[in-house]
Order: sequence, then C-alpha cells, then structure tokens
Amino acid sequence: MSGILPNWLLPGLAVALPVTGSLVIFRAGHWKHRMTGLAVTGTVLLVTLALTVIMAVTVADGNRIDLVLFPLLPPWPVAFRVDAMGAVFAMTVAGLFALAMMHAVGYLPDDRRQWRFHGFLLASLGCLIGVALAANLLTLLLFYEVFSLLAYPLIVHERKPEAFNAALKYLVYILSGGALVFTGIVLVQHIAGSGTFVAGGMLPDGASDPALIVAWAALMTGFGVKAALMPLHGWVPDVHPAAPSPFSAVLSGVMVAAGVFAILRVLFEIFGAGLLQRLGVLPWLAAFAGFAVIAGAMRAVAEDDLKRRLAYSTISQMAYVSLAASLASQTALAGALVHIVHHAFFKGGLFLCAGLIIATTGVRRISRMRGLGRRMPWTAGTLTLLALAMIGVPPLSGFTGKWVLGSGMAQAGGYAHLAIILAGSLLAALYLWPVVYRIWQTAEEPGPDCGEIPDRKPRQDNRWMLTAVLATGLITILLGLAPRLPGFPLELAETAARTLLGSPAWK
Amino acid sequence: MTAELIDLRPALAVVISLACAGAVFAARENARWRAIWSLSAAGVKFALVWSMLPGALGGAVYSFRVGEVLPGVAFGFRVDALGLFFALVSSTLWVLTTVYALAYMRKSHSLSRFFGYFALCISTTVGIAFAENLFTLFVFYELLTVCTYPLIMHNEDLAARRAGRKYLVYTLSGGGLILAGMAMVYASSGTLSLAQAGILDASAGGATLLVIFVLLIAGFGVKAALMPLHAWLPAAMVAPTPVSALLHAVAVVKAGVFGIIRVIYDVFGADLLRQLGYTDWLAVLAGAVIIIASVKALRQRHIKARLAWSTISQLSYIVLAASLLAPLGTLAAIIHIANQAFSKITMFFVAGVIERGTGKTRVDELAGVGRQMPWTMAAFTLASLSFIGVPLTAGFVTKWYLSLGALQGGREVFVGVMVVSGLLNAAYWLPMVYQAFFRPMPADRKAPAGVSPMMVGPVLICAAYIILLGAGASAPAMPFSLAEAAARFAIELKASVE
Amino acid sequence: MTHWPHWLPLVAALPMVGGVLTPLLFRSRPSLAWAWAVSIASVTTLASSALLLTLVGSGPFSYAVGGWLPDYGIELQFDPVSALISPVCIIGLLSLIFSRRYVERSIDPKKVSFFYALVLVNLGGLNGFMMTGDLFNMFVFMEIFSVSAYALVATAREPIAALAAFKYLLMGALSSLLVLFSAGVVFAMTGTLNIADAASRMDVAGPMPAALALAALATGFAVKAALFPVHFWLPDAHAAAPAPVSAILSALVVKAGVVGMLRTLELFAGAEQLLQPLLTSLVWLGALGALGGALMALVQRDIKLMLAYSTVANIGYIFIGLGLATASAATGAMAHTLNHAVIKSALFLAAGAIIHRTGLRHIDDLRGLARRMPVTSFAMAFALVSLSGVPPMAGFVGKWQIAVGALQAGRPAVLAVMIIAGLIVLAFSVRVINALYFRPPSRISVASATEVPLSMLLPIAILTAGCLGLGMTGQPVLEFVAPVIKNLYGAVP
Repeated sequence: MSGILPNWLLPGLAVALPVTGSLVIFRAGHWKHRMTGLAVTGTVLLVTLALTVIMAVTVADGNRIDLVLFPLLPPWPVAFRVDAMGAVFAMTVAGLFALAMMHAVGYLPDDRRQWRFHGFLLASLGCLIGVALAANLLTLLLFYEVFSLLAYPLIVHERKPEAFNAALKYLVYILSGGALVFTGIVLVQHIAGSGTFVAGGMLPDGASDPALIVAWAALMTGFGVKAALMPLHGWVPDVHPAAPSPFSAVLSGVMVAAGVFAILRVLFEIFGAGLLQRLGVLPWLAAFAGFAVIAGAMRAVAEDDLKRRLAYSTISQMAYVSLAASLASQTALAGALVHIVHHAFFKGGLFLCAGLIIATTGVRRISRMRGLGRRMPWTAGTLTLLALAMIGVPPLSGFTGKWVLGSGMAQAGGYAHLAIILAGSLLAALYLWPVVYRIWQTAEEPGPDCGEIPDRKPRQDNRWMLTAVLATGLITILLGLAPRLPGFPLELAETAARTLLGSPAWK
Repeated sequence: MTAELIDLRPALAVVISLACAGAVFAARENARWRAIWSLSAAGVKFALVWSMLPGALGGAVYSFRVGEVLPGVAFGFRVDALGLFFALVSSTLWVLTTVYALAYMRKSHSLSRFFGYFALCISTTVGIAFAENLFTLFVFYELLTVCTYPLIMHNEDLAARRAGRKYLVYTLSGGGLILAGMAMVYASSGTLSLAQAGILDASAGGATLLVIFVLLIAGFGVKAALMPLHAWLPAAMVAPTPVSALLHAVAVVKAGVFGIIRVIYDVFGADLLRQLGYTDWLAVLAGAVIIIASVKALRQRHIKARLAWSTISQLSYIVLAASLLAPLGTLAAIIHIANQAFSKITMFFVAGVIERGTGKTRVDELAGVGRQMPWTMAAFTLASLSFIGVPLTAGFVTKWYLSLGALQGGREVFVGVMVVSGLLNAAYWLPMVYQAFFRPMPADRKAPAGVSPMMVGPVLICAAYIILLGAGASAPAMPFSLAEAAARFAIELKASVE
Repeated sequence: MTHWPHWLPLVAALPMVGGVLTPLLFRSRPSLAWAWAVSIASVTTLASSALLLTLVGSGPFSYAVGGWLPDYGIELQFDPVSALISPVCIIGLLSLIFSRRYVERSIDPKKVSFFYALVLVNLGGLNGFMMTGDLFNMFVFMEIFSVSAYALVATAREPIAALAAFKYLLMGALSSLLVLFSAGVVFAMTGTLNIADAASRMDVAGPMPAALALAALATGFAVKAALFPVHFWLPDAHAAAPAPVSAILSALVVKAGVVGMLRTLELFAGAEQLLQPLLTSLVWLGALGALGGALMALVQRDIKLMLAYSTVANIGYIFIGLGLATASAATGAMAHTLNHAVIKSALFLAAGAIIHRTGLRHIDDLRGLARRMPVTSFAMAFALVSLSGVPPMAGFVGKWQIAVGALQAGRPAVLAVMIIAGLIVLAFSVRVINALYFRPPSRISVASATEVPLSMLLPIAILTAGCLGLGMTGQPVLEFVAPVIKNLYGAVP
C-alpha cells in the first residue's frame, strides 16, 4: 500500500493530522452548520484510521518504518518508529476514537462547547498515536505528558462537581507519575547515553545494578500510575465514571492501555528480557500485577454503579498484560498484546452502552436496571455480547486473547500466573453475569423497573450512540471470528512479541 | 583557539541606551518622541547584539578596552559566548518590555523619568553582560542598582518608599560585599580578568579563598535573590508591572545569577572549586531555596507575590545548575537564563493585562478570566507548563539538562529536587489556570476595559518564544548553541553531550 | 616660559599680596573686589598649571629664594605632593566665582572686600605651605592660612559662627605651638630646618628628642587635618562658615594638614622604630575617624553638618592609607586627598546654592527640590554617589587602593571598616537623594525656588564633572604620585 504515499510520511501524518484537525475543529463553533464540523471531524478520524491500518499492514511481516523529525534536545530527536506493536496499538486507538466520537455526537448537547470536546478529543488521538509510534523515550514522554494534560478538559467537560474532584485527583496522580517517569528517563539517559528503543534492550552491560533498579522502579511506578497498576490505581474508579461517557470509553479502552504499552516498551526495548532476569525484578512486577488482577476484580464485584464496576474491571484486565509481561515469554506476550486490542473494544463498547443507558434513562446503578432489555433491546443485546466476550466465551474476541495468553503462560511454566488469570476470568464472570441477568429480568419480580422511565433524550440523538454501540459489537465478533487474517491484531501481536523478545535464549 | 577581535559593537550597545536615556530625559512631556527614542534605541541595540551572534558562534570574541583605571584594573568590554547570551536575552526582552510599558504606563506620571531610567537600566545590564573584568562588571552592577531605584520608587507612595529602601539596603550591602571580595581577589591574584577559566589558585590559602567565595557569592546572591538575601524581591512588587518584568526577568535578578556564574567559572574556575568543595554547599543551599520558595509561593494570594516567590525558586535553579560543576549542569544554568526570563516575563505581562483589563490582582479573583481573555490566559497556561516542565516548552529543556547535570556530577538527589519542584509548580500554577478557564465568571464582572494590543502582543510573542526555546532548542544559530558554546568554554566539556 | 623659576614663589606671593590689597582698593565696591579676586586667582591658577606641566615634564625642582644656598636660605621645592597646588588654585578660583552671588545674602556688604581678601590670603598661604621644604616656612605659611581661615569662618552672619571660629582658633593655636616646638627640637637635633637635610641627618640624634619632635609634629598636623580624636573643631566650623568657605576648608585647608603629615613622614623616614608606632596609630585613629565620622554624618539633619562629618570620615580614610605604609595604600591616600577635595567642594557649593535660594538647610525641608533646581540637585546627587565610592567615580579610586593595600599589609579588618563606612555614606546619600527627588515639597521656599544663576552653577558643574573625570583617570594620578612613596617610608614595602 505504499504506492500512494512514501512510507516515512505515514507516522508523521497519523500524528499531525488529528492535531491540526483539532485546531480547526476548535473554531467549528463559528461555522454555520453542525454537519460541516462533524464532517471534518469524521473525515480526520477516518483518514487517521486508514493511515494506521496501512501502517499495520505494512509492518505486519516484520518491517519497520522510521521517521526522524527534529532534534528536540540534542541529540535526542523527536522520532517515530512504526513496528508491529506500535502499529497494532495505533490502529486500536484510532478505531476506538472513531467509535467514541460517533457516540459523542449523540451524547453531547448541540452547543458551542461540543467543539471543544471534539477538538481536545482529536488532539488526544494525535498524542496517543504519537505514544504508540514513539521511537525513543523522549518522544514517548512528550506525547504522554501532553496527552495527560489534554485529558483534563475532557474529563471536566460536563462541569459536574464530581468530575472536577475526580479530575483533580487524576492530575495529582498523573503529574506525580510523570515526575517519576522523568526521573527514570533521565537516569536511563545518564546510564546509556540515549533513550532509543531497541528490541531486546539497549542498556549497556557494565551499568551498575542499583542505578538500573532505581531507573526501572521509577519508570514502572511512573507509567504504572497511568496503567492503573495497583496500588497506583486510585484515580481510575473516580475518573472513569465521572467523565463523559465517550471519553470514559477512551479512558478505559486505550488510555490505561497506553500506560501498559509504555511499560512494555520499557521492559523489552530499554531493559530487555535478559537484563530483567539478571536484575531479578520481574517477580515484583508479577506480584503487583497478580494482586491487581484479583483485587480489581473483587472490587468490581462489589460495586453497584455500572461505570465504577467497569472501571475496576479495567484495572483487573489491564493487569493481565503486566502479568504476562513478567514472564518474558513470547506467546504470553503475544496474547497480552492481542488482549489489549480486544479489551479496548469490548470495554470501550461496554462504556458506550453504559453511556447510552444513562443518557436515555438516567439509571446508573445495576440494581435498578431490571427491564432494560425490553426497553432498549439493541443496547442490551450488545452489552450482553460484549460481556460474554470479556468473560472469554468463544467464538468472541476475548476468547482468542485469553487462549493465547493462557497457553503462553503454560508454555513458559508460569503456572501461578495461569492460575491467577483463570481466577480473574472467573471473577469477571462473577461481576458481568449479574448485569446481564438483571437487564433481561422480567417485570414480574419485585424491585425497581426501568421500563417505565421516560426517555431523557430524543430518539434520533440516540441513533448515533446506538450505531457506535452496535459497531463495537460487530468488531468484537469479527475479531473473534477471524483472528488470523493478515493485518489483524493477532498476527501483528505475534510479530511484535517475536521482535521484542528477540534474543534466541527466550521462547 | 578563540579569536579576539577588537570591535566597537560592545561599547556601542551599551552607549546606545545611554544616548536614548539622554534623549528621553530631554523629551520631557512629549510622549511621541519618548516612544520614538525608546523604540528605536531598543531596535538598534537588538540589532547590534544579534549582529555579534554569528561571529560568536564561530568562536570569535569581541573586545573593546576603554582604558586602565587603576593599576592592573582596566575598564573594558569582552563579548564571550556567555556574555553574548545574556545580552541577547536582555536586548530581545527589552524591545518587548518597552512596547508593553509604553502601553501600560500611558496614564501614569513622570514618564520621561521612567523611560529614561528604563533605558539606563538596560544599558547597564548589557554593560554587565559584556564586562571584561570584575571591576567593569561591578561598576555596571552598582549603576544598575542606582538606575532601578527610581523605577521602583515610581509611584512615590509609602509602599514604594518602603520597598525602595529595602531594595537599596539589600543591594548596596551586596555591592559592599562584592567590593570586599573583589579587593581580596585583586590582592591575592593581581588581576580581575574574567577571560580566563579561573584567576585564583590554591596558593591563596583556604581561609582567604573561603572568605572570597562567601563575599562574592553573597554579594551577587542579593540580586540573585538567594535566600536568605531575597527579602527585597517580594517587597519590590509594588512597582509598576513593566518594572517588575524588568527586575524579575530581564535585568536585575539575571545580573545576580550571571555574576554568580562568572564567579564560579571565571574567578575561581571549575577545577579549583572541585578541589575546594565550596560549590557543594552552594548546591545544597540552592536546592533548599528551590523547594522553600515554591512552598511559599503556594501560600501567596496576590498574583504578583506568587510570581515573585516563583522567581526566587527559579533563580536557584540556575545557581544549583552552576554549582554542579558538570558540563550539562552549566549548560542548564546558562540556558535557564533565557528560559526563565521568557516564561516569567510572559506571566508578568499577563498579570499586568489582567490588572489593567479587569482590575483583579488576587489569585482567587481569576474566575472566568480565561473566557474574557482567552489568548492571554492561554499564554499564561503555556508559561505555567514551562515552569512545570512539560516537554516542548522551554522549562523542560532546563529540567532535562539540570537533571542530567546532577547525574553527571554525581549528585543524584537534585534530580529529586527538580521533580518535586515541578510538582510544586503544578500545585500553584494549575489552580490559576483552572480558575481562569473552568470556573464561571461571577455575575458582576464587566467586560474587560480596552487592553491595548501593544500589551497583548508582547505576551503572545514571549509565549511563542517559550515554545521556540523548548522545541527548537537545537536549531542552528538558536541561542541554545550559544549556550552550549558558553558552557564549553566555561568548563572543559570532556564528556560530550551524547 | 614655563621654566621660569620665579613662577614658584609667585604662586604663593601673588594671592597674598593681592589679598592684602583688596580691602584697600575695593572696600566700597564689592563687585569690583570680586573681579579683582577672580583675576588674581586666575593668574595664580595659570601659574600653578605651568608649574605642574614643568613637573610632569622634567621632574621635581626647587628654587632658592634670593639665590641663597639651601643651608642658609629659604628653599622652595615642587614635588608631586606640591602638585596639589594646582587643584587648590582651581578649587579656590571656582569658589571665588561662586561667591559673587552668594555673598550678596550671607555677608555684610561692608565686609565683602575683606572676605575676598581673606580668601586670597588663605589661598596664598596654602600654596606656600605646600611648596616649602623648610620647617619654619611651613610654620609661617601654616599660620597664614590658619588665621585667615579662622577669620573666614567668623565672617558668616550666623551667631554660631563666632563661637565656631573661636573653637577653631583655639585648636589651631595649639597645633601651631606644637609645630613650632617640633621645629625647634628638630633644629636642635640636626642643625637645619630643611626637611630633606634634616631627614638625612636624623639618625645621628638620640631617640628621645626625635620621638618628642615626631609626636609634636604629628599631633599638630593631625589637629589641622581633623583626625580623630582632635577633629571636633571641624563640624561646627565648616557648618557655620559661608558655603564657599566651607568648600575651601573641607577641600583644601584640612588637606594641608595631610600634606603636613606627609612631610612629617618624609622627615622621619629613616627612623623606622619611631615611625612604626605612629603609623599604627594613624591606622587606628583613621579607622575610628572613618566609622565615627560616617555614623555622625548619618544622624545629622543639617546638610552642612552632614557634609562636615563626612569630611572627618574621609580624612580618616586618608590617614588609614598613610598609616598602612604599602605602596598602593599610600598612593591611594594621596589620590583620595585630591579626589575628596573635588567632591567635597562640589557638595558644599551645591549645598550653598540650595541655601542661597531657599534659606533652608535641614534635609527634610529640601523635599521635592529636584523639580525646581534640577541642575543643582543632580550635582548634589552625583557628588554624593561619588562620595560613597561608587565606581567609576572619583571617590572609588583612592578607597580601592587603600583597601587593596590593607589586604596586602595583612589587615583585612580595615577593608571591613571601609566597606561599612562606605555603606553608611551611601545611606545618608540616599536619604538626601530621596528627599530631593522622590518627595513632594513641604516648604514654600522650595516650591517657589528657581535655579541659581550661572556664576554659581558653573563652578558646581565643573567640580561635579571632575568627580567623574577623576574617577576615570585614576591610573595616571596614581602613577604620578608613586615616586613620593620612597621618600615617606624609607624602604618601599
């Protein structure tokens, strides 16, 4: 597909386009028709998505695209490198953002302020793609920090008091995390003289262990805040529910994943599996991740607010990836990467459903959702689908990921890890099934019923949201049915894992 | 290695504002001529200083000696990379501050006195930058004190007098300390030249060297607002905003840290100080100041007071970086002269715009200002991000190199200081941004009174510079390369910046 | 023409003769008296410049009056110290020019011609004092300028003037006695009154009479120079006198005391064990004077008193420099003698201008004057800043050299004293500047004041310009006086 555009232009465009688009969209409030603004936004999103798909296909067989921009701080350039892992994440991000935007069109009231939302959303998209395609720690930090700041106006967009409180908490966490990341990056620069990602690790052999461990700890903790690695997760349960639903979907779907993504980059392209083994830090990661899987899931079971339950679920699910990473096994890692993709869509989709439900009926608590199935059949149906996917029922997408993940862990001898994954999945069922059950419950049983609640929004606005929800469901089915198609996540993930753990000593 | 060229430009750059001052004093009440003289002198000086940049990047050093005033002590100019860097920052900012001041001060009194002394201040600042030796530097340093005094006293009310008195007591005492130190340097080494990497050597004796160090650092430390010598700075907030901008960003405080850098690298020299270890203590002090001043900034309710304490904190970044005696640290110290200047002056300009436009001066009165003045507050936000140290802004460049310098110098703890300081900065800037953009305007807020574009323009230009310095740091001929050159001459850059 | 040797005595004789003639010729015509005085002073100034040029060109020279040989006759000599005559004449001339308008208000018209006479005689006496190499002549000329000085103080209309003059006279008489006594002892010891000769013969004498002579001579000149603790005649005298007289007194007459001390050092240069205690005491007393004078100046509210105490402080510096006995300190002291003369005369004349216009002397009354009398106020501000020792102005050069000399001599405490004193001077300077510039007027006479006429303004301006000029040309001056050092201390340290 590189006949149309030179390869090296792709990553640059994929980042620049949404960012410039956002600047344009900020002015859309002055335009005559809403449709114009929507059309522009939509076009930008679709083109970006197309770019990411092209990139994914190009690198599917192990190629790489490199693009070096200007040196930000000599000699560190702002540079992009499209490899399999980055491409698959970028594609996921672009896809989910497109869905979120569609949802937002229906969710947000039609006023001047909606363009602020869309603008910031586009800018965030550009930044996240920048994170995905960053070729060195500095570029990663740059886009990461900017994205973190851009999230603030998105979180508080609806001006609800709980959103401001949650956003403040978010800011404190994220800035502290950013500070730790900065410390770690500076240490890496000092030790290694560079921060470029190199598959298999780039830190020199002679470096002192204490310095390396400190750098590792700083980076893990710093990125771990965004990755909601317990006990650094404190912002998630407040922020994800308080944000407007389209952005919650993004938050849970790809933002936390971005943190995990960064962790993976650091683990395998700064430190490298061999060094990690030598330093003996992987068991620590496993311990925290394992704890997060279980504890997150258990908290999810206890929550009655749907969005909070989903938020805790995100904590738990994303910890799967860290857990897999701690094994440094190729297959496990591939499964983890694929899980990121799948999770983005089904968790994102679940949030979109929740958003639609809340927008239509105002109901947030699961205990009050009886009768929803009759009221909003399509939504409820998709919700059920996504829940099943997350639990891991074949032939939906969740199953593929979990299977690869599990078999990889087994192969690597991480039986404890495997057990935790299984427990987590069990708990997932425990917290998702009641939701499904409740919405399909008939009205004969005692208790509140949401069938009589009048619509809060006109039906036609719900069309956008419904379409987004349905699209998510469709993607989930597709990903589950045809995992091995070229350019599909699984293949990319496998390529990525192979590259990351390139040293032949590791499977 | 370096070519020393005799060139009139350093002297011209100093003289031009002297002439401008004379013309402005003569122009009396004629506002038009006042503006014409001020702006044209600013422009000419700007051009003069920038014209020396290509040569300096190529390694040339311009010098111009006026004559020997005392035995072994000459009065002359010598433009090396460090001096040119400081002069570049000052002359650039002077143009912007002049434009701003012409608009801000339009309805004020005694304007020819104001602008005349304004011009004299910048003349003396450039004199400090281009000083060939400690004596010349001291002359211009004291003259700077003298020339800033009428500006602080401008409002002529009780608060101004108090502030002016405090200012003089502190700065003149500091001058006395410098004089004492200077005399001791001269007695010990026979020269006051700043052209060598250190004119003192260990033969002077430990006690003497320690006394000289303390005297000179404390003397310059007054203007550099090094705690506990800082008390004049928050008090000087009573001056009109362009004066605060000048004091805090362009001239006075930068002269102080410039002096400290010169003392460390050109009077003592990095090698000698490494042996003596005095800079270790200075680094610790600077680190403490960074934190303490930021904590105090948190508690300030007036915008300008908060800016003042932030300045105190930021200046110690420079002192800390210079004390690390590591190449990247020196680089950070030099580059922060520019980064801090542009970021802080943006904030001061914004504070002035808000004050003129809405009459608000307190941090908790900012609700909704972002809606009334979006571009201005956006600039403020950008400056805040720079102080927090977000990548792509100027402040990040400093943070980066300072941290690397700390690691290079084996003082890892200062990375922590940087990080904590960044978070503290977030704690006291972001609430202001939040108030401005995310809080609704109170019902009794009127539309902003006409704020001249001449005030907003400099705000935006300085804000643009923040990005330029942050993102374009390594463009050729950008001041960054000059700072690098300066750092290289200041300390042998054995480890390259790789 | 410039080598005409007779110019040397002329420089002393002309003003004296001219002065004596003034009341005879011009008693009833004050303005003619002024013109006469100015012309005499101008010629004298020209002559002194010629002498200076000769000195620069061909080195020190001497002139034997009446052609008698040195051992028997009066010998005048012109060495770099004597070169001080030139600025003395200039300052004297400028003060005279200034006086024209000033005396209209402050001196009884019938006495004006006497006033000019006294000034001229004083000038002549000073010149003579500085160029003589003979102890007795020094005594004579010293009497001449002292008596004329007492009388000048008394010409002021203020009631306190008479008392101040009397105090001055008493102290002056004491010092004259001491000098005379010392001259006698020296003659007895060495058989000559010529300083150079006596110096070379000094070591044949016993220590006791030498010590006595030294003590007497030093004390006598110390009184004249207003060194602590025998300075207390000075503040009242200088403050009570009319402004031009204050200028002359502070700038010139006390410097004669310094010159006298220099000659004393020359005289006893060979007797190191005698000199040592003297030098040490000079340093101590100078330091005390510097600090004490500065502090006393700080608490004054009357501007002339403030300036008078500042003179005490500066004399202190000069003696510190002389006492430290290092090359840079001594040259600095001599340079400061010149520089302070210029600065202080500028200050007193500016103060005089203010008093002339407004009748006010209290600092608080002077508020807001800068708007009405911009040139005078600027001159005062400029000269005050120069007095504090801010480079690149005149006050800095001497102080720097003395400070460096202190460090070289291993006495850093002196440096601290000078810095502190300098800061105190800055403090009261700022107070004055503040009042002049940054306060609204509080007195009607200030609000309605206008600038003084040119005849008063011009001398002020010239002297103020000199403050800067001397600051920039410190190096040549220091080089100029350097050769004198070896005469002072024997071996140059």
